[in-house]
Amino acid sequence: MERLGEEIVSALTPTEIFNINLFGIRISITDTVISMWIAMALIIGVVIFLTRSFKTIPEGRQNVVEIAVEFINNFTQDTIGHHWKTFAPFIGTLLFFLVTANIISIFNFIPTGETLYRITGNESFANWPKYSIRPPAKDVNVPFALATVTTFFIIYGAIKFKKVSGWLKSFVQPIPILLPLNIMEYFIRILSLSFRLFGNILGAFIIMELIYMVVPLALPAALSIYFDLFDGALQAYIFVYLSTFYIAEAVE
Amino acid sequence: MNEGLIALATAICGLTGIGAAFSIGMATQKSVESAARQPEAADKIQRILILGASLIEATAIYAFILGLLLIFVR
Repeated sequence: MERLGEEIVSALTPTEIFNINLFGIRISITDTVISMWIAMALIIGVVIFLTRSFKTIPEGRQNVVEIAVEFINNFTQDTIGHHWKTFAPFIGTLLFFLVTANIISIFNFIPTGETLYRITGNESFANWPKYSIRPPAKDVNVPFALATVTTFFIIYGAIKFKKVSGWLKSFVQPIPILLPLNIMEYFIRILSLSFRLFGNILGAFIIMELIYMVVPLALPAALSIYFDLFDGALQAYIFVYLSTFYIAEAVE
Repeated sequence: MNEGLIALATAICGLTGIGAAFSIGMATQKSVESAARQPEAADKIQRILILGASLIEATAIYAFILGLLLIFVR
């Protein structure tokens, strides 16, 4: 039981792989950041592959892109209304990044340095940094950052479409006594958005970790479909849907 | 702090699941009923259900995070 607790704690804390010294500021690159880089590289690669050589009459992989873009456009148009064009790129980026980031742990077949050392007995492998691909959202900083970006978009949308006066007026609606609640709402939104994603991904991650420890064969494959693929995609959708909903509320 | 008390507190956190499970069950029941009555509105109902379910689920998630903090943060 002690070993189990220690493993979960070590999975919770982001480990530093290396750090960059930039003008005297130490930027530590943790395994979360590297997982996000891998997710970004995947998305950029797929997008470059899909968007080469566009034609007027779509064929082949151009159809895939058009379906994806149309899905995002319809989704934002349904929720936000006629100001959807400003937000569709952000919503689409958020959705694709979150879906990729949440299901990225299924690509975790790269052996760690420790495993290579155990198999080959080569000393140099043991000194490799301890890294394995984990969903970045299990580090609370990632959902928190994304929720903060969403909040910036809410304020930006409100100021752009209702002007500063209209945005400030929205704080005292429907009655002025609700002013402190309306101000608090901005912070509570960040907290609830980020904790929802963080808690769900972390919960699924811990359950999968426990299953890997107890039954390392066959069973994780079946449960991984639910906990990694389905839950990850669903939580990404919910995060994006709630973001769109909040933006729509602010823009109207 | 006393280990037993921490375990008890974490168990009480777990009781949040009762409320969340009941509410999600009720929300799903009502949405299925209304979708059966008005199949043409099923799309809209599903969207509202997902929004509501994710808000209900947040309570359970907060309890989960609280339980984790109780166990691991000393």
